[in-house]
Amino acid sequence: MPADDIPPECQKHGTRMTVRVFLTRVRVIQAVMIFMVMLVGSLAHAQNSGPSPEALEKARIANIKCFSCHEPAALEHPPQVGLDMKKLRAAVLDSDIFKKSDHGRLACTKCHTEGYTEHPHAADAKESTGTCSDCHSKKSVKIEAEFAKSVHAKHMADTFTCTNCHNPHLMRVAEKLSDPAKIVEQDNRVCLGCHDSDETFAKYAPEKKARPLIDDIHSWLPNTRLHWKSVRCVECHTPVSKDMLSHEILDKKKAEKKCISCHTVDSALNVRLYRHLVKDEQQKYGFLNSVILGKSYVIGATRNPLLDTLLIALAAITLVGVLLHGLIRFIAARLRRRNRHD
Amino acid sequence: MTERIYLLPLWLRLWHWTNAVLIITLGITGVSLHFANPASALVEFSLAVRIHDIAGVALACLYGFFVIANAISGNWWQYVPKPPGILARCWAQTRFYCWGVFKGEREPFRITLETNFNALQAVTYWLVMYMVLPLTIVTGLIFLYPQFAPVEMFGVDGLLPVALLHYLSAAVIVLFAIAHIYLGTMGTKLTSLFKTMITGWHEH
Repeated sequence: MPADDIPPECQKHGTRMTVRVFLTRVRVIQAVMIFMVMLVGSLAHAQNSGPSPEALEKARIANIKCFSCHEPAALEHPPQVGLDMKKLRAAVLDSDIFKKSDHGRLACTKCHTEGYTEHPHAADAKESTGTCSDCHSKKSVKIEAEFAKSVHAKHMADTFTCTNCHNPHLMRVAEKLSDPAKIVEQDNRVCLGCHDSDETFAKYAPEKKARPLIDDIHSWLPNTRLHWKSVRCVECHTPVSKDMLSHEILDKKKAEKKCISCHTVDSALNVRLYRHLVKDEQQKYGFLNSVILGKSYVIGATRNPLLDTLLIALAAITLVGVLLHGLIRFIAARLRRRNRHD
Repeated sequence: MTERIYLLPLWLRLWHWTNAVLIITLGITGVSLHFANPASALVEFSLAVRIHDIAGVALACLYGFFVIANAISGNWWQYVPKPPGILARCWAQTRFYCWGVFKGEREPFRITLETNFNALQAVTYWLVMYMVLPLTIVTGLIFLYPQFAPVEMFGVDGLLPVALLHYLSAAVIVLFAIAHIYLGTMGTKLTSLFKTMITGWHEH
């Protein structure tokens, strides 16, 4: 490092400090910083790798106690006398389904924090239930910004929460579900749960807002119900987002209506429903977008370049062939006419 | 003096031209759908879907009409390749198209009321009308109601074989149509056969 590069304050306070000593100190500081970065990184990794087996076992055992009352079976055979059955009916959950969900390995008390350890539970226990952002703080910043632009925020900003759509006891993220059919079934059940049910729609929708019939407002979409079996509502009702599905739910005016977004070689489905499977693309039978092919035939996107080239070439050969034939016929006829005149 | 015969009844001519319009429409919209590209759309996708669906159903109905009218009128017999000496007649026709026509030879086949088609025509029409077109129509109808397609075949979506058969058979029809239109110029004059197809009268 040239002496000119030494900061002026060092030159001022360390008049006796040689360039060599200065460089040594800089290297030590650099080494310490690298060590700290590595330490923080490894700690973060340890955090991301999830709870220890001991902690998981502890959570599992603790949950058995909760499920002794909150399993559906408990409604028929209450484990204790004096339970408020009406309240319990609204709070039962199949433990097997819960275990398969993304939160299935967590202790119930991770979210249901205070007032739930004893029975009867504290009257205000519900108020202390944890929120999604307690754990998902980084994601929630992005999600909240997207949600603020969402059609749901427009009409229900005060009442709408994550759990309106995401049932924390049931849901799995798309990447873990992996099978597109399962992703579609799970996610569309959420949307259709309100938008295809007068009762649930009325529960959340603003007053006087009548539920539009879901088939009527999608009548422009060919094979409507089949589309809903193969793709999610959010394929069209969210803008494309780079890292994860956007939470900006678009209304019918802003939603994607161009069929060609999905129905083309560079299909948007590859960055949406099939985002997690694109890396598995195997060029099955020489088809483009063969990752989609396993589940759906998508007109315009399912293409076999070899077959396409062959058929285009055949059509071109036929066309050129007949034109050439016609030209030779024309020339031959003229020659014959000329010969006759001669 | 030219000899005139009334060869083609009105129903057959109406069927032919309606069929032609529908097949051209289906061809253009079909290409737009299969080769869908945001940068260069021949017909906008949703419009192409609508037109293709309507024209497809119309073609299926028209084919039903064609089969019934053929059965009633006995016209179906024209399409049946008649075996004794058929290969030699096909060869004579091929030789004419590849060689004789350039030398100004007369066509080896003479149209009569009993036999409208030369041997090559009969074989091709029989294949296209009774094998390929029904395949395109049936696969097209399954495409229109994909719930009737098999769920899965060969480890891929069951609609793929249906779609492939539809695509391939439709491509054969497009190839046939190109050759068919061109061979329409092979009458006594360039326009003779087109005139016959409009008026029903054939002039030798």
